[in-house]
Amino acid sequence: MSAIVKADLVVLGAGPGGYTAAFRAADLGLQVTLVERWPSLGGVCLNVGCIPSKALLHAARVIEEAKEAGEFGLDFGAPRVDLERLRGWKSKVVGKLTDGLTALAKQRKVSVVHGAGRFAGPNTLSVEGDGGTTTIEFRQCIVAAGSEPVRMPGMPDDPRIVDSTGALELESLPKSLLVIGGGIIGLEMATVYDALGVEVSVVELTETLMPGADRDLVRPLQKRIAARYRAIMLGTKVTGMTAEKDGIRVSFDGKQAPDGPQVYERVLVAVGRRPNGKAIGADKAGIAVDERGFIKVDRQMRTNVPSIFAIGDIVGQPMLAHKASHEGKVAGEVAAGHKSFFDARVVPSVAYTDPEVAWVGKTEEQAKAEGIAFEKGSFPWAASGRSLSLGRSDGLTKLLFAKDSGQVIGAGIVGTNAGDLISEVALAIELGCDAADIGLTVHPHPTLSETVAFAAEAAEGTITDLYIPRR
Amino acid sequence: MDVTVPDLGDFADVEVIDVLVKPGDTVAVDAALITLETDKATMDVPSPAAGRISAVKVKRGSKVSKGDLIVVLEAEAVADAGKPAAAAKPVASSAAAVAIAEPAPESMASSAPELIKVPDLGDFHDVDVIEVLVAVGDEVAAEQGLITLETDKATMDVPTTVAGRVVELKVAKGGTVNPGDVVAVIQPTHAKTASAASAARAAPGVAPAPVPATPQGAAPRAARPTALPQARNIDEAAFSRAHASPSVRKLARELGADLGRVQGSGQKGRITADDLKAFVKRVLTEGVPGGGLPKLPVVDFARFGPVATEKLSRIQKISGPRLHASWVNLPHVTQHDEADITELEQKRQALKGEAEKRKLKLTPLAFIMRAVALTLAEFPKFRSALSADGESLVVRNYCHLGFAADTPKGLVVPVIRDADRKDVFELAAALAGQSARARDGKLSADDVQGGVFTISSLGGIGGTYFTPIINAPEVAILGVSRSGMKPVYDGKAFQPRLMLPLSLSYDHRVIDGAEAARFITRLSATLGQVDKLVAAIP
Repeated sequence: MSAIVKADLVVLGAGPGGYTAAFRAADLGLQVTLVERWPSLGGVCLNVGCIPSKALLHAARVIEEAKEAGEFGLDFGAPRVDLERLRGWKSKVVGKLTDGLTALAKQRKVSVVHGAGRFAGPNTLSVEGDGGTTTIEFRQCIVAAGSEPVRMPGMPDDPRIVDSTGALELESLPKSLLVIGGGIIGLEMATVYDALGVEVSVVELTETLMPGADRDLVRPLQKRIAARYRAIMLGTKVTGMTAEKDGIRVSFDGKQAPDGPQVYERVLVAVGRRPNGKAIGADKAGIAVDERGFIKVDRQMRTNVPSIFAIGDIVGQPMLAHKASHEGKVAGEVAAGHKSFFDARVVPSVAYTDPEVAWVGKTEEQAKAEGIAFEKGSFPWAASGRSLSLGRSDGLTKLLFAKDSGQVIGAGIVGTNAGDLISEVALAIELGCDAADIGLTVHPHPTLSETVAFAAEAAEGTITDLYIPRR
Repeated sequence: MDVTVPDLGDFADVEVIDVLVKPGDTVAVDAALITLETDKATMDVPSPAAGRISAVKVKRGSKVSKGDLIVVLEAEAVADAGKPAAAAKPVASSAAAVAIAEPAPESMASSAPELIKVPDLGDFHDVDVIEVLVAVGDEVAAEQGLITLETDKATMDVPTTVAGRVVELKVAKGGTVNPGDVVAVIQPTHAKTASAASAARAAPGVAPAPVPATPQGAAPRAARPTALPQARNIDEAAFSRAHASPSVRKLARELGADLGRVQGSGQKGRITADDLKAFVKRVLTEGVPGGGLPKLPVVDFARFGPVATEKLSRIQKISGPRLHASWVNLPHVTQHDEADITELEQKRQALKGEAEKRKLKLTPLAFIMRAVALTLAEFPKFRSALSADGESLVVRNYCHLGFAADTPKGLVVPVIRDADRKDVFELAAALAGQSARARDGKLSADDVQGGVFTISSLGGIGGTYFTPIINAPEVAILGVSRSGMKPVYDGKAFQPRLMLPLSLSYDHRVIDGAEAARFITRLSATLGQVDKLVAAIP
């Protein structure tokens, strides 16, 4: 049957951006309907992205630490992996969060309509669900329809070729895995499968792993995984894939291409994500979508149609949950009549690899390319008591300061918990701190967070934990 | 379907102070059925579904509690998802929605209501609605104006695209609208192809289409962000660079302040919340940050004799500050000259017959505009504008010419597009058309923007020479006064010649005196070259 619902505000997509927007707007007094295509709220991030991958990465980390403990006299023996229970635990973590969201929606009286939403007009959204079509007549709309993994042209339809969602399902452990794409998603999954004993290979089209991050940050990661993985093929392209009985036969071309095609039991395609701008009937509402599927918005997240906003992956890079949720808040507030703008200066990026890599603001390569005069302060973790006591010496904290103002403009950290450490620098950038502000803030000892203060001191020339000859 | 009293919170035995329906009535979703009054509030109980009332179970004065039967409703097929039938939602009457559409008339089955929207207004946003020309229930013809909008450049009507009956009005006088906003819902008189698409939205069997997009209780119009006037001129790049914490940036957005222009008093020049508030206070009291003009004394004129107060027209209120801004921001210099238009006037008289044949009035202004277009082709700087940062000149490679038009409501400047590609007859036609539209207040946004140079002609009135104010961001304006016969010495004797006084005001930041003198001499000479003026446009 078909039903008609009216809403002050309809939010299309219940990922981290969409539910944040919906909840914020509801808290500000709007009557909100949230449309979600999947049965549970939370979008890719909670269901098949950030959260399940972090659960598995934690498991991987425990395996690795148990192994490393052998070096200092604690032998746990080889782990026995019960895949079914590991999957169950991962699903429980996801379930707890998504159930929590459902409860939060209920408390706020945000009504949820399940189904795929498409615009039928400038004030109408048509939602195709299991129970039929629901037509939502709205005054304002926030499009938070996200993105989906890019498929490679000509790749065979075979269950052994998976995207990040398939890889997270962890149906079985193959003997060998080829990860196509050496970006954050591909390398995180490689970390999980490697720890679980799978022979991992990575192929990346560009010359570097994790494009976008500074080379010196990727180096410790690259060094570690080069020793563990079957192959890391940079500057190399996959030219063909055929499904065969014993696995997927993959042929390569490029700098580090192996001699002849290789067979892998499983292939993970992680070559990027594509915005869903073309899948929502945007033209019916008059929303301008560019040829790649992105929707252009202003600083208030408004599209070219004043009553329709867009946030998250669908409005552009970086496709990160925390960017989406902040944009969602802005859109929700503007929809409720507040004068909010997305004025954040920086959005941090984190790769939960082992070691973790995190960066925020300008990278060194960016600063050079943009001709910004900057000073650098670095602190190698080999000199950090805390890092050494964790059994790791392969970290680096690097801060960049603008020469003219002295303010911190960027940071890169590689090492254990880099993702947690980067927040301090994000705050420092938002507040316009300089090296003295950071260095003179007393950091507790011994911690990894100390390395941020030490890097600032290195820039100031006041560091005593390293010896840096005077320039 | 039984409609019962919804959850009233802590209230029981609540008095029914009004019964709004009777058996046989057709009601729309959310139409109020009864009004209840507690000691805290009055509230309407809305219908959970559209349908026909078959029985009313309460009467005025009776007391009801949660779960009591109110009416029996023969519901239509349209279910309001998320609202179970028996749990009608109470709506406090203060927030309760406006009237819901009347029961569907016959025509509704064949065509869905049309949403009439505000068209593209160019660069304008939050445009004032100065008049609402129709009322709910009115029959309107296609292209009939529904509301009148006023931007700072023009007033315009928003017409309906279909003929029909006004079912609902979405705007009120005094409100503001943006392109794409719904103005009104019109029930078309005849089904037309264009409405087929929207009719298709309704599922088969759902005869009366609901009134689109009227969620009850919503009032986004009032809630729409209305930025301070200066908010539109915020330098976003400087805003991002400003040394201010996120909380201060947020406050700046709320106040609509241009953070890049705020001086910080905190450590290392950091902008504090107090700096920001002081800045806003100063802007509000002085008008312009950092400076301000000496105030004129306030005089009680009535002390000296009887007075009458007349409100400035809206156009005056808008043009006043713009003229003032140009006057104080642009260093004006005015260069005068006299052009010999004896031959031009003879030619104009000679062409009158042909003009009449074409049903045109060939005014001197058409010739002057033609001469200006020809001269501008040789002097690109006179059709330039200074970039906002004052670092470069933007030369417009088109020749849209504005002309000042005196209307009963005040001064407006309609623009003639591509004046350089029109001959004098075409210019005369365009001038007549735009003047008529200006007089009738029918100029559209398009009609008043994009000009590169303006002509202000007082020739029809009188006077010799004046100093026109530049229509910024243009960089020059030509003032034309009344021509007159003057003795002109030709080297041997004085000859009677018809002389036209010209006054060219220019922005001295862009144009220097020598260039202005060359321009006006060239213009005067061109006005004397009659054949060139009336030559066909290639």
